[in-house]
This record gives sequence, C-alpha cells and structure tokens, in this order.
Amino acid sequence: MVNKYKLNTGASVKDYNKVSDWLSFESPDKINISTGKVDIGQHISTTLALICSRELEIDINSIFVKKLNTDITPNEGITASSLSVPNSGTAIKAASIIFKRNFLDYAAKSLNLIKNNIKLDDGVVKDPNSNASISFWDFSQTEDFFKLSIPEIIEDINQNNIDHNFHVETKFINSIVQGEYRFLHDLKFDNMLHARIIRPQSYSHRFVSIDESIYKYLKDHNLELFIKNSFVAILGDDEYEVIKSLNRVKNSIKWEQVDKLANDEVFNLIDKNNKDTLVVKRGGEAFHENIPEIKSYKNSNYKTLTSEFNKPYLMHGSIGPSASCSIYKNGKFVIYSHSQAIYALKSILSNAFNVEEENITLHFMPGAGCYGHNGADDVTYEAALLSKEFENKYILLKWTREDENCWEPYGSASKNKLTATLDENNKIIYWSSEAYSDTYLTRPMVGKLEYFVSQRFINNDFKKYKAEPRTGAHMGIHRNLDPIYNFKETRLVKNLVHDLPLRTSALRTLGAFANTTATETFMDDLCIEVNIDPFEFRINHLDDNRAIDLLNDLKTQMKKDKLSENGFRGIAFSRYKNSASYCAVGVELTVSDNVEVELKQAWISVDAGEVAFKEGIEAQVEGGFIQAASWSLYEKVDFDNNEILSKDWDGYKIIEFDNIPLIKTSVINRVGFPYLGVGEAVAGPTGASISNALKRALGERIKSMPFSQENITKQLLG
Amino acid sequence: MNKTEYILNVNGKSKNIVSSEDKPLLYILRDDFNLTGTKLGCGLEQCGSCAVLVDGSKVLSCNRPAIEFVNKKITTIEGIAKNEVLNEIQQSFKEFNAAQCGYCTSGIIVSLTELFNKKKIPESKEIVESLSGQLCRCGSHASVLKAVNNVIKIRKNHG
Repeated sequence: MVNKYKLNTGASVKDYNKVSDWLSFESPDKINISTGKVDIGQHISTTLALICSRELEIDINSIFVKKLNTDITPNEGITASSLSVPNSGTAIKAASIIFKRNFLDYAAKSLNLIKNNIKLDDGVVKDPNSNASISFWDFSQTEDFFKLSIPEIIEDINQNNIDHNFHVETKFINSIVQGEYRFLHDLKFDNMLHARIIRPQSYSHRFVSIDESIYKYLKDHNLELFIKNSFVAILGDDEYEVIKSLNRVKNSIKWEQVDKLANDEVFNLIDKNNKDTLVVKRGGEAFHENIPEIKSYKNSNYKTLTSEFNKPYLMHGSIGPSASCSIYKNGKFVIYSHSQAIYALKSILSNAFNVEEENITLHFMPGAGCYGHNGADDVTYEAALLSKEFENKYILLKWTREDENCWEPYGSASKNKLTATLDENNKIIYWSSEAYSDTYLTRPMVGKLEYFVSQRFINNDFKKYKAEPRTGAHMGIHRNLDPIYNFKETRLVKNLVHDLPLRTSALRTLGAFANTTATETFMDDLCIEVNIDPFEFRINHLDDNRAIDLLNDLKTQMKKDKLSENGFRGIAFSRYKNSASYCAVGVELTVSDNVEVELKQAWISVDAGEVAFKEGIEAQVEGGFIQAASWSLYEKVDFDNNEILSKDWDGYKIIEFDNIPLIKTSVINRVGFPYLGVGEAVAGPTGASISNALKRALGERIKSMPFSQENITKQLLG
Repeated sequence: MNKTEYILNVNGKSKNIVSSEDKPLLYILRDDFNLTGTKLGCGLEQCGSCAVLVDGSKVLSCNRPAIEFVNKKITTIEGIAKNEVLNEIQQSFKEFNAAQCGYCTSGIIVSLTELFNKKKIPESKEIVESLSGQLCRCGSHASVLKAVNNVIKIRKNHG
C-alpha cells in the first residue's frame, strides 16, 4: 500500500494561488515554470524543473524555468535565507499536483474513460479504443485551467520513493562548459556606454575639485565624466578606454577626508561602543527586557567554563565584479540586475527616481556567485542613476576588483562570549551565550536610500545611519544563538554594536556562522573537560530524533575512514535557524611544523527534508563547506585608520585547490516531509569542526578566526 | 588616440583588428571576436577567469596586450570543443555538474585542458599546480576535482 501525506503549500502560494501563476504550457511540448527566486548557482532552476518533472511525469528537458522578470514572474521577495526550495519548490510541487489531478479528471470526462485506468504518457492521455487523445497542452487552453486554485493544504499525496542516485544534468552546465552561458557582464546593445565609478580612498572622503586639464584627455578618448557632489563616474563606448582612464581621472581629483575610517582595533570597538542589548528567548525571538546577570553556582560538584570567539569582517568576494545594465527611455526604466532582491529594488528605484513602478522592468541576469548582499544592489542603483542622466542609452556599469573588495557591505566582525555550568552528571544545566556584532540587514529597503553606498557621495549631507535591532526569530545577529540543545536554563543576549568602522549586511548565514561556531566549539570544550565522546555528549543534550539520527549518520561515515598520519578530527552540528536543514560535519586536518593547517578529509551528513535534487543538495553543502573553510582558515578584511587594505586577491586570500579535502556527503531523505533550505546549513558546523580538530591538534582553543599561521602563532606564543 | 592594425588567430579564425596598442587580449576577444566565455574577474591576473590557451599554453588575458599574440594560435573556451564535440574535461564537468554559478569555469577548463594536453595521467600535485590561481567562490572545487579524477580514470581504462 502506498503511504499518503498532506502538503502545506506554504508562503508563496498564499500570494499566488493559481496554478497558472506557476505553470504555463507552450506547444508542442514545452512547460514553463515561473519563479520569483533567482538562480545564483544554487541550482534552483534544475531543482524546480525536477520537482515539476516528477509530479507531471514529464522529461526534465521539456521543462524550462523563466528568468525572473518583474513584469511576469511572481514576487517571492528576496532570494535568501535558504528559502528558495521551501517556498518556490513547494509552490511548484503544489501547482503540479493540482494541475495533474484536474487534468486527469478532464481527460477522463472528455474521453469518457475511468480515471483510475488512465495511463499518462508524456503529458498525453489516449483512449485505447478510439485513439483520441487529450494532452496537458490541450487542457492548458481551457478556461478551467486558468481557474485552477491551489489550496493551503493538499491531502492524499502518494508517498513515492524516488531513486535519487541517478545523474541529473543541471540546466546550464552544457552552456557553461562551452563558454556560452550569458552573464550580465556579457550584455551588448547598440548605443551602449560602459561605465565605471571613480571612488575616493574611503567612505569618509569628499570631492573638492578636479584639475580641468583632464577634460581634454576625456574628449580625445571619447569619454564622458559625470559628477554629482562627490559621486563621480566615467563613461564611454569602449570598455577598455574607460578602465584605462580610471587612475588618470582619479589622480586629477582632489578629495578631502572628513573623518577617520577607524580609530581602534575592531574587537576593542565591539567592547567599547554603544550597543542595543536584547534578551533572546528559546524559540529565537529577541526582546527589549532587562538583561539578567550570569548565574553562578556554589555547588562544588558543578563545573563552570567560559569561552570567547572572534570573527573578523568577511567579504562576499564574488569572482566577477558586481554589474548592472540600465536604460531610461520614454519615461521608463529597463534594468538588468543580478541582485537577490530584484522586487525590492523595483519599489526603491520607483521612489528614488520618482518613476511609477509600472514603468520599471527589472530582469534578473546571472552574475558571479556570492550568496548574500554584495555590490549587486548598489551597482543596480548606480546604473539606474546614470541611465537617467544619459537618457536613451544603455549603461553597462561594472565595479572594479577594488570596488568589489572595498565598497561591498561586509559580513560583520563579531564576538561571542559564553559561560556554561555542568552538574555532577555531566549535564549542562546552565548556558549563557552573548553575541556582539554590527547589523547584517541593510539589504535594499523602501525609505532607506542611505543603504546604497553611493548615497554617501551623491548626498553631501549624508549622515551615517543607525541600525535598529531586529527582534524576529533568528534574525541577523541572533541567528542560531538559541541552541538546539535541551539545556535546563539559558541566558541568551544579543548586542547590536553601533559605530563600527565598516559597512555591513547579509553574508551567507548572517550571524549563524559565528553563533554556531561559538556554540559548537564550546560544546567541545565541555565534552573534553568531562572526557565524554563528542557525539555522545551532544546526543545526551538532544531530544530531537532527527538531530540524533544525523549525528549517528556522521559517526558511521567517519568510522569507515582511517585516520591519516598526524591527523586530528573534529565534529560539529546544527540545525540552521533551528527550523531549516540539519547538518553535521566532521573534519580531519593536520598542522605542519610551521603551523599551516591542511584539510585532509571531511564528512557531511545532511537532512534537508524530502530530497528534491540530491546532487543539488550535495553541491550546496560541499560548496558551503568550502566557503566556510575558507572563512575559517584564511579570510579577514584588513583596514587601517584611513582605508580598506584588502583591495585585491593578494590582499584577501581565499581557499584554493591546494587545500580541498576529500569530501563525503550523506543525504538523509525524509520522504513526505517539507523541503528544508540547504544553502546555509553547513557553514557553522564547518567553522566549528575545523576549530575542534585544531584544538585536538594544538591542545589549545584558537579564539580568533582566521586560523592562519599568524593568528595561531600569536595565540600560542601568548 | 593612436590605433594600430594587426591580425589575430582565435579558435582557428583570423581577423583583422584595429585597436590601441595596449588593449589587452581579453577585451579584443570579448569586443571584436564576440567571444564572451572568457571572463573579466579582477583585471589583475590574480583570479584566472580570463585564462586562454596560446599555442597550447595557459595565458591570463586581462592585462597582456593582444598585439603580443600576433602569429600565435589563441584558443578560448569556445574553441575547446572540436566540431561541436566536447573535450573530455568538458564532458566530465557535465557528468559531475562541476560548476555552480559558472563564472570561473571557463578559466578552470582552459587550465585543465592545457594540463591534460601535456600530460596523459597527471599527478595530484600537477593538478593542484595547474589550478593554482584559479579562484572559485561558490566552492565548486570538490566537484571539479571529482570531474578531473573521472578523466584520469577514463584515460587509465583506455590504456
């Protein structure tokens, strides 16, 4: 007997509840999927096509995913927070189920067949007697199709066991390997100007004057200069001429510094500066309440330990610089952007330029991967602004590498302070965890034009904005601050630190990377203290069976592989936001005599609910592991009092092929369970497992990332 | 603006070019040949996105003037497949979905094509060396290495 389950159709269906909002049928055999999520390399297009393909029993190659276009695709908000498959995937699944059920009714009625005897073959039902047939495409032409609504809950779905161990080619791989996949950077239009921004040394520099002699050079090279207060751009029809002129024009401008970038080391500023301090309760919401003191126990059988963890500013560091293309013609904008917040941009640009939303069309076009709020939104605003000034011309604006490294909104530097008490049974009875950081949430927002970096230069009266603490469950700084463990008593505190030197916003996982690393490294300190196996110690503090299964799965994986010579292992685990995917990571590493860390092996166990696209999940967690390993071992934005120093890849090292361990991934499939977002689940456990393996190798906890030769040596030598 | 005229051979086709003498190869490929598979990443020869083959050897194209490559055979990512048949690295990348956003992939495939053209069964150290300076932010490294190992396995099986 086939088991049945019911599907809660979720957030996106609430706003778009017609099947035709999600699916359209193009003769002779093409099915189009609409989605408000953008494909940034996370394989969402393939995943959605695969979900639809399975439900409709149609070859995936007949299914096409439309790129987001604000005129036609559903507004599903920002592509962020590991919600693409939970939202869009669930909507596509629901739309496909409802479509097929109604199609079969329609076919049975039209062909006078018994529904249960109908055989569906590639979207077609045939009457075996008359050879008459009805197809999906026929049904999609009827009025009934456009009336089909998706309910909040769909009952009686067959629980099919699908073999996920066959290869599915991702939607764009064929064109990528041949260099034919088009990125935004590759756009070409007649009547197009290439543009670059000329930026000063820091956020706090202002334009004073320009050496007039530069205008002759510009004229001779067919270049145009645009200056609005301190915002300076250069434009021309030959991209290289624009690039070549950058330094020359920059050197012809006199800037003044109105403020220092920083006046102390960031971790000192985190301690010293003003803060908004909130209590976070179990469940992950934050409240403006009195902060309780850290509890101390007099029982001599109890053990109390403390811990501290520092994370520097991290950059998105996209390999391709941020870019956007815009034209303003006849009172209308057409804009190409690789932002993850396309719909939000539409409203903001409408306000900023006083153009009705109906006169703005934004198209998503791929940029280079980044996962978070990098320069994509800033560059879109800047391209729109320039196109308004240079009407009727396409403006293709690309940031330079230095722009990308110095002007993007970073993942904030942060600090975590923890205290825990173990009772005589080695159970944690008290857990205090405090997170300190700048905001992670300055994504584009209506009424917050100041979030665009160029506003600091366009607007001479620009005043630095003060971030407001967010209170929703697992928002920004306090994401995963609430541990998944069943500690008897917790004291969780969120600190939004003001006046820190660098501009910050959402970087993959927001605060969860630091909070999970802090939690899971401290869990390891505690289990070492009481000499209990790290798996057992964690399981002793868990009630959630899926979490326990996951840890056991990781343990089984790791047991199969021999320890390398001089290798040390560490593990860590979390459930992202305590509501998305469960992920456990094991790492094995060696530390050389000159204190270089080499990753040897890694094991990942992941439970993302029902599996939609297994290879997609593996790619996301393995890619996320590698990015988080890079943060942990190498990355740190350097700056001094005057400027950011990490201007290029020599100044901001990221992981390369010489330190990629052999990674094994085990995906636990929970058939009939909701899809759980998977893009960010692995990062925190990765940072913590590397730190935990290092502690076993060095005998000491390294408190500050990156775990570079410099930082490790500094701490070991005291 | 002083311009100069020269002929470049790219993917087996020669074309007359008129450009400033210092214009890097990358922009000629993208602007004049309309071959946009070679990417502008950093413009500083640090990220590898702009890698092409010149007479079979990897060259970073974002800074070196195109005029340096007159009388040479330039191959871009678009020219690696022969008569629409993918080379074994491209094929293996497809089998292992060895790309995420794909921005860095052209440079990586170009690097590996150079390596596998020069060495039938490269050692791990040589693979890492070949990919040194080829940056990827999405973390496709593991799948790239699986695809590379697959090429080696196939070559070994075919003697």
